[in-house]
Amino acid sequence: MKNQWIEFYRGLVTVKASGKGIERFINALTRSGINIWNVKNHGTQSVTFKMKVEDAKKIRSHARNSDCRIEFLQRAGAPFLMKRLLKNSGFAAGALAFFAVILLLSNMVWGIEIKGANPATEYQIIKELDKMGVKKGKLQFFADNVESIQRTLSNNIEAITWVGVELKGTTYHLQVVEKNEPEKPEYLSPRHLVAKKKAVIVEMFVEEGRPVVDIHDHVQPGQLLVSGIIGKEGQTETVPSKGEVFGETWYKSEVILPLKSTFKVFSGNEKVKHAITIGNLEIPIWGFGKPEFEEYELEENEKAVKFLKWKLPVSYVNKTFREREQVTRIYSNKEAFEAAKDLARKKIKSSLDENAKVKGEKVLHQSIDNGKVTIAIHFQIIENIAEGQPIIQGDSE
Amino acid sequence: MAKTWGQFVRGWMTKNMELPQDVMMDLPRITMIGQIHIYIENHRGLLAFSDKELRLLLKQGQLLIRGKAFVIKTILPEEILLEGKIDSVTYITDTD
Repeated sequence: MKNQWIEFYRGLVTVKASGKGIERFINALTRSGINIWNVKNHGTQSVTFKMKVEDAKKIRSHARNSDCRIEFLQRAGAPFLMKRLLKNSGFAAGALAFFAVILLLSNMVWGIEIKGANPATEYQIIKELDKMGVKKGKLQFFADNVESIQRTLSNNIEAITWVGVELKGTTYHLQVVEKNEPEKPEYLSPRHLVAKKKAVIVEMFVEEGRPVVDIHDHVQPGQLLVSGIIGKEGQTETVPSKGEVFGETWYKSEVILPLKSTFKVFSGNEKVKHAITIGNLEIPIWGFGKPEFEEYELEENEKAVKFLKWKLPVSYVNKTFREREQVTRIYSNKEAFEAAKDLARKKIKSSLDENAKVKGEKVLHQSIDNGKVTIAIHFQIIENIAEGQPIIQGDSE
Repeated sequence: MAKTWGQFVRGWMTKNMELPQDVMMDLPRITMIGQIHIYIENHRGLLAFSDKELRLLLKQGQLLIRGKAFVIKTILPEEILLEGKIDSVTYITDTD
């Protein structure tokens, strides 16, 4: 018996033959090597049979010779199935396109919600986000990750102290804490202003209260500068004294700095690799080969492809290899002293208020031993030395 | 005369040399499976076909198969496989 599947694969037709010479027709077909099967009789003078599609053209002449009328009834098999499939391929394409669109839309940024910022800051944040590729309608793959958005925002925008970035589905939620929130009016209890440290008064701005010291006065820590008790004797009144008293103070700063130091820096060379991971399998898209750096730091950024609310096991990975170099810095003696002085200045400034000024400095002592520079500097600083001290009722009078 | 001589030689050869008759003498080889299948080799063509009757041309005479619901499952120049309910298989020879 023949294998019906091969016939099915090539395609087959059902033929109806009617007329007087059916038997002759069948004999002619078989003799000329045309395969037919499933010959069935249907009433008088008519049969149906199946045959290959390829042979369908050949039977016409045989039919004419043997006085038969033929009719093709049904076509079956893979070629016709394919044809139908092709005709209906629109459905499949539509379904595919539907999933593709859902997939695409699931990975887009659909909203940015900023909470806790005033309109001006919000505008600034939106502009900054825009630069990072976080914008409505952009793909999340090309946006920075949440941590770096958070870092960049808090670095680049002065007006905010802290920003929390969270990606929920397709929406970025930003929680902003602004630096200059409207100042709360100070409700101060009656107080004096006293000196914080030993100083010589240089300047005084007293808004409220009665100053008890004068410029060029030498004050000790805890000494009363501005009294909160005003008015004539007998009818005194306590007020929260307010003001700034600038005094010249003295600091001594000592810095030890090695002449030779090694540290690691990035050389600026980097190599970026893009890949798609499916499960554990990684398929590189762009950036091949190993980085030729001896020492490098690897930053890996992985973004899962989302479908609606689910995360697929497919993700886009972006790897950045940054070359690291070891640098040895050797100071000459002179340079070392300069650097040590700089360091001392920075150290002093970081420990002082913003409105403090360095008036003068004097190197007390400098030396080099064991490859280290030791320097001691005396600084003259002008700063606010006033400090509030509440007036406790009862013991003031 | 020549034909009968040839037939005589073939008959003698098959008898004495143990060769299968269907090969030597161009006789049909008929295989039947119960009543439902009949497989005929060495036929010489279809003479008549309906769902109750199949008439085949043989080298000598004809073969008439009667029954019900006949379907030719396969037909090749010298072979035929018939399916249906077979009631009778009859040889028709003109010489009788």
